[in-house]
Amino acid sequence: MMPEVGRKLPRKDGVAKITGREPYSHDIYLPHMLYAAVYRSPLAHARIQHVDTSGAEALGAVCLTPFDVPDFIYNERIVSIPTKTYKDRRVLPTIARHVGEAIVGVAAETEELAVRALQQIRIDFEPLPAVLSTAEALRSESPKLYDRIWLGDRPIDMANNIAVERHITEGDPDDGFRGADFIVERRYTTPRKYHGQMETKAAVCQPLPNGGINVWATVQSIHNVRQVLGQIYDIPLSKINVMKLALGGSFGSSIQMNSIIPICVGMALKTGRPVKLVSPREDDFYDHAHYQTEMVLTVGVKNDGTFSAAKMDVVADIGAHHIQADALLGVMAGWLASLYKWHNFQFDGKAVYTNKVPTCALQGFGNHMVNFAVEQHLDIIAEMLGRDPVDLRLQNYIGEGDIFWGQGPSIKSVIQSCGVEEILREGSVRIGWNRREKPVDKQGRYRRGLGVARGFHTSGTGGPKPGDVIDYSSATIKVNEDGTVDILTPVVDHGGGTGEAIVKIVADILHVPYHMVELSDVDTRTTGYDVATHATRGVYCGGGAAAHVAEKVHRQILETGARILQVPTDDVTLAHNEDYGTGTHVFTKSNPDRQLTLAEIAKTAQINSWGTIAATGSYRQQSAPPCFMGHFVEVEVDTETGEVRIVRAVLLSDAGTVVNPDLLEGQLMGSFARGVGFALQEHSETLPSGALAHGGWLTDYRMSTSCDVPPSDALEVYYAHTYEPTGPFGAKGVAEASLSSVWSAVANAIYNAVGVRMYDLPITPEALLEALNAPHVLNV
Amino acid sequence: MTSGETPVTLTVNHKTYRLFINSSALLLNVLRDQLNLMGTKYGCGIGECGACSVLIDGELTLACMTLAGTAVGHEITTVEEVGESPVGRVITEKFLNHAAVQCGFCTPGMLVAASSLLQERAIPSEQEIREHLRGNLCRCTGYAALVKAIQDAARELHPDSERRPHAG
Repeated sequence: MMPEVGRKLPRKDGVAKITGREPYSHDIYLPHMLYAAVYRSPLAHARIQHVDTSGAEALGAVCLTPFDVPDFIYNERIVSIPTKTYKDRRVLPTIARHVGEAIVGVAAETEELAVRALQQIRIDFEPLPAVLSTAEALRSESPKLYDRIWLGDRPIDMANNIAVERHITEGDPDDGFRGADFIVERRYTTPRKYHGQMETKAAVCQPLPNGGINVWATVQSIHNVRQVLGQIYDIPLSKINVMKLALGGSFGSSIQMNSIIPICVGMALKTGRPVKLVSPREDDFYDHAHYQTEMVLTVGVKNDGTFSAAKMDVVADIGAHHIQADALLGVMAGWLASLYKWHNFQFDGKAVYTNKVPTCALQGFGNHMVNFAVEQHLDIIAEMLGRDPVDLRLQNYIGEGDIFWGQGPSIKSVIQSCGVEEILREGSVRIGWNRREKPVDKQGRYRRGLGVARGFHTSGTGGPKPGDVIDYSSATIKVNEDGTVDILTPVVDHGGGTGEAIVKIVADILHVPYHMVELSDVDTRTTGYDVATHATRGVYCGGGAAAHVAEKVHRQILETGARILQVPTDDVTLAHNEDYGTGTHVFTKSNPDRQLTLAEIAKTAQINSWGTIAATGSYRQQSAPPCFMGHFVEVEVDTETGEVRIVRAVLLSDAGTVVNPDLLEGQLMGSFARGVGFALQEHSETLPSGALAHGGWLTDYRMSTSCDVPPSDALEVYYAHTYEPTGPFGAKGVAEASLSSVWSAVANAIYNAVGVRMYDLPITPEALLEALNAPHVLNV
Repeated sequence: MTSGETPVTLTVNHKTYRLFINSSALLLNVLRDQLNLMGTKYGCGIGECGACSVLIDGELTLACMTLAGTAVGHEITTVEEVGESPVGRVITEKFLNHAAVQCGFCTPGMLVAASSLLQERAIPSEQEIREHLRGNLCRCTGYAALVKAIQDAARELHPDSERRPHAG
């Protein structure tokens, strides 16, 4: 059988998704169901003194207020181990800490009635002074968001608005800087941005007569949502079932249990009826954003092009809740440490509470921010040294045999596969790097420039020893009586094709064709634990666990076949041959004519009452290998309007063995479109009132349309030829890596076009025009 | 029927439904909540994302911006019907083969939009396809696979047609 891994095959859920028959959380309707809506705070910071629900109740609605929910503080993200999990949140708070924070849930017979009831909610607020920037939040006289938070079970009394600080050092940075021939320091900023997943957050909760609940919701991890709900509502996990559904995009926005899920559950428990809560887009905008960061990067450079030290100071604006800021600072240090050989480095990070929308991961979790600083820095240094930017990268990159920090300082692996050199050399050829001119040589209104940036991301957070982040996955695989195969995997597919990858991996281990292997509908009851589809771990870790279990099933097939054939197990082999039934068969090595199809084996085992050929298990990957990425971009800048057009781009990835080539291309293309949007236009800006400048309207938060991205022939993809020895069939991840270096490459290309270095994102026409019009910039 | 609701007759996917609706009821909600047609998706509610695309008398229309009452007397076609049509089947196959579907939430709207384009224009240019899809946001694919799939579908539906030069 030709391997299924690496073939272009139609995705299993494709037709159902295209024709609207695949259920998402929005599409769950239950008999006797109520519809819910959420009252959200109009103020950035206010104590809730009294909630008057009488008007809403007069309309027949049932209300859930901060005074009705368990007085339980939690963190909705439990990817980190408990002792590294900061907690500051209730289901509904008695103090609203950002505009749009959920305060009251309202459930009624129809959605319209719920919205009308919402308008009757009256709340007595005691307004509190708000802090809306990190600078303001860090002033000693500024109001604090919290008096007390928790780290695991330990209370932390807050002296200020610093949610967490991390200081991470390797080597002797002071000594390193003393040994530098020159030092380059710059400040870079990245803005708040919105995930823009097409499906807004939704939840449906069905209360059960035994005190349990069934939950259908927008999630990246069914098991973590089940566990957090069990903690909040004190329900045994055996009575909570969270279903796995299609996820309408996420990009990190559901790494935590979404805030509306426990509100929906609370209303279902209060009313005793199923409740459905779908976030309007405006609510979704006020529910999550990505971290705003300020980074000061200092690098000590030697005249031979090597580095003697690097230092990065980070201030991250995390908004009103600490979802994963501790982990964010750790991984930012790790991304910095893993890009180039600094020899000595220091990372000082502060995560700061502000009265703004809470922040969480977004495709890369700090990766593209660090990349924006480092990859522009590399170009600045190359210019100062009179070196080619590609050569300087090739001289200093961290590659095979070096250490990669897959997820901060507690999760490190030795790199065993590396496509950096191939990516940089191939990209140079494909974009025509040798035609790159200096900015000073360019004239006229429209100026073109070439830029490069390289990045990466981890594949999961595994390793030989447990770290600060939990990482393992599970699978159950069984052979049906006709030789087809069922896979039960808890791994949620964001849409990138994780499910298809798992099917292909199992198909190849069992020598069963792709079309005879299916993914079962599963939930938390029918699957073992999987931490979440985050950290680009779906194929590498989820697929790794499926491979581990499939090997057990493979052994069982051999044992059963040998039993029927009455030969020793080591005398039989599993193979695929189209001449035999459905193709999959066990044959006797000493006498190849003695063979059985997989269907005959499974059916015989059933008829003889030997049992089902099936296995289940959990597996932790022993490494967290980097998937490398490179972007070569050509831009055209209109120096009169400040508009930037992408002329061409080459997107190069090192995913190890490519499992889904067409879906990988789609991920690279999609990430490029998002990256260009983040580079040039997207900004979820907060007004002095604490409200969002775009008001939560999609119209005013401009995401790339089909007309904003370059035409098809302007984009080219390339896959490096690498094999990851620790991955299933040599595969590693790719998803988050594919965004990591987009905006850095765009910024470097803009510099090459017009000689203006843009340190702050997004690079809007207004911002670029202002920079261009600064004195002594343009050659006229 | 509760107060404020009036009886109407809607024709959806060639079937006639007698329903009670509120005068402010949106077509999107009537299709989903009352007729169980889940392929028409809610993405923004303000006509910005295209996930709720349907056809009314063959015209591409946003169900989140349409009062259900105004659709009385008109032929409403949702993705469930488009997916079964000859043009829709070809586009579905091409979306599948070009891996133009990732998370899939925007894809039913894309199918409806693409089908309306190919009804209007046999062999659209890439620029025409991009302009036609401008109102349908996709956050996953970057649109490239969708555009290629629609071009491929057009060629299969009209093997003998030459692309006419795009005006402008």
